[in-house]
Amino acid sequence: MKLVKYFALAAIVLSASTGAYAKDIKPWHDGFKCKDCHDQGLKSFPSDQSCLQCHDVDDLADATKRGGDEEWQNPHNNLHYGKELPCIECHSEHQKPETYQPLCLDCHTFKYEKFKG
Amino acid sequence: MERRNFLKMAGIGAITMGTAPAAFSATVCDKDVAFDKSYDVVIIGSGFAGLSAAIEAKRNGAKDVVIFEKLSMFGGNSAINGGLFAAPNTPMQAREGVNDSIETMVQDQLTAGRGIADEALLRHVATNAAEALQLTIEAGAEYHPYLQQLGGHSVARTYQTSVSCGAGITQPLLKMARKEGAVTQNRAKFEGFILNANNQVVGVKIREGYYFGREDSGKVINVKANRGVIMATGGFAQNIKLRMAQDPTLNHEVGCTNVEGSTGEGMLAMFKLGAVPVHLAHIQSGPWASPDEGGFGYVSNYSIYNFPHSVAIHCATGKRFMNEIADRKTRADAELGCRDQDGNPLPPIMITSYEHASQHPNCKKVLKYNVGWKFDSLEQIAERFNVPLTALEEQITEYNGYVKAGKDPQFGKIMDMAKDKYIKAPYTVVRLWPKAHYCQGGVQVNVNAEVLDSMSGEHIKGLYAAGEVTGGVHGVSRLGSCSIPECMVMGMTAGRNVMKG
Repeated sequence: MKLVKYFALAAIVLSASTGAYAKDIKPWHDGFKCKDCHDQGLKSFPSDQSCLQCHDVDDLADATKRGGDEEWQNPHNNLHYGKELPCIECHSEHQKPETYQPLCLDCHTFKYEKFKG
Repeated sequence: MERRNFLKMAGIGAITMGTAPAAFSATVCDKDVAFDKSYDVVIIGSGFAGLSAAIEAKRNGAKDVVIFEKLSMFGGNSAINGGLFAAPNTPMQAREGVNDSIETMVQDQLTAGRGIADEALLRHVATNAAEALQLTIEAGAEYHPYLQQLGGHSVARTYQTSVSCGAGITQPLLKMARKEGAVTQNRAKFEGFILNANNQVVGVKIREGYYFGREDSGKVINVKANRGVIMATGGFAQNIKLRMAQDPTLNHEVGCTNVEGSTGEGMLAMFKLGAVPVHLAHIQSGPWASPDEGGFGYVSNYSIYNFPHSVAIHCATGKRFMNEIADRKTRADAELGCRDQDGNPLPPIMITSYEHASQHPNCKKVLKYNVGWKFDSLEQIAERFNVPLTALEEQITEYNGYVKAGKDPQFGKIMDMAKDKYIKAPYTVVRLWPKAHYCQGGVQVNVNAEVLDSMSGEHIKGLYAAGEVTGGVHGVSRLGSCSIPECMVMGMTAGRNVMKG
């Protein structure tokens, strides 16, 4: 038991020294270091431009495009805020998916089945 | 103590409190601060009022205009409202042959205001509403090709954006404001005024990099306003403590249609400065909201459109219990009276013919997202909502008689918009329960959008306010679709006058 604890601690210390530690991140972001996203310091949220280092708003809007009467339910180009809604209003790297939801669901009962968190 | 000395002391207080979180609405003297940024016009809030103020300030010669928005997204509560815009003497009224006038619109609002509305402000807004509507169209807003007659209005005078939402106006206005050269900065929270030795507002404290709910996030900077500050910060319906201080019935169990940022600090800071508090206890609940979805959702606009040709039914009795197009307060109070035998809320239902309901685009949404339902018979409705069937059938037959006669002896509803619209199968049904929606109260302004001082009665130099943050315009009950014209006209007025001052 003690050995396990010691091993776990060592693992944390080890990963801390590499800069990627403490917080789980989404599997598709494996290999990212804290500072890759936390461009305003580690104690602050990533800025609203941070995700855009890799993601393109127009591409995202295209990928989640909806047709017909759902045109404006595209989360990346929506009725209320167009393409300007900051990512962290819906997405989170470190929280468990069951503890948060996309902003739209504050008022609507939409189903975003492909939403991965 | 002289006011100036008092302010100096307040300034010292603010400095000592500077490191503490939530040190908002401190007032400091400009001698004590170094300015980090400078603009001709500083606007707080990015809803209808803030955006229209920015456009007009730029068009009236402001070198630079900034809009500071507390939330991460622009548009404030305006971006999620219903997009309903009342104006007299509009092109659509001319086309539909509706006989209306500025005076009629003012009189309708005075009636709903129950004797305490501000007639001069109402007249100023009604007089300039058609021009403000035109500004939105110029910016690119599109409207449904028909007028609606909302509760308390004596004629059909309400436009609605084709997306049935205020975002159909805020999005084009935001683009237009930026095109005119206004700077827009989000996550920027107003934290107090900066005055000069003459008690003139010459700047504001802004917390940049602010994350809503994290009061110590970001950093406070001092921003100079060369011509003036326009407060367009909206209402406080999301501030439960503050709204309960005014009206204890609006507790945490009462829903709210507003964005989370509608918490009122801008208004409170103006009170601290000396602005006149008006009608704070008059907080309006929307009688068209649904307990089956959050916020404004889809049902609100669905109900607003359908009330004129629908019946609202008390589930325990199977009978109507209100004039479906009475003003908002009358209806919200009536709905709150719908209780089961233990006194628990029993949300009433609104029954509409599917044929008529489906004319509004929200009908499809309401059915699709399971916040409204379609039925083939009254039996099905009675069973689903536990309504006494015979009473319900009798009520529908009676009501259809009123449709035919064009007169409602039961509740005195104006039946013009219900002409030939009988309640018949198939039906659509939504449930109703009021949600806190709009604060009639706020700071007192005059028709120049100047904020008045409670001690001197004069206007506070360098300070303007527009939109829901102002109070007293509507009195006891604001009529539906009268907020957008007020925000737009008073925003435009503030934007023009700040450049004259």
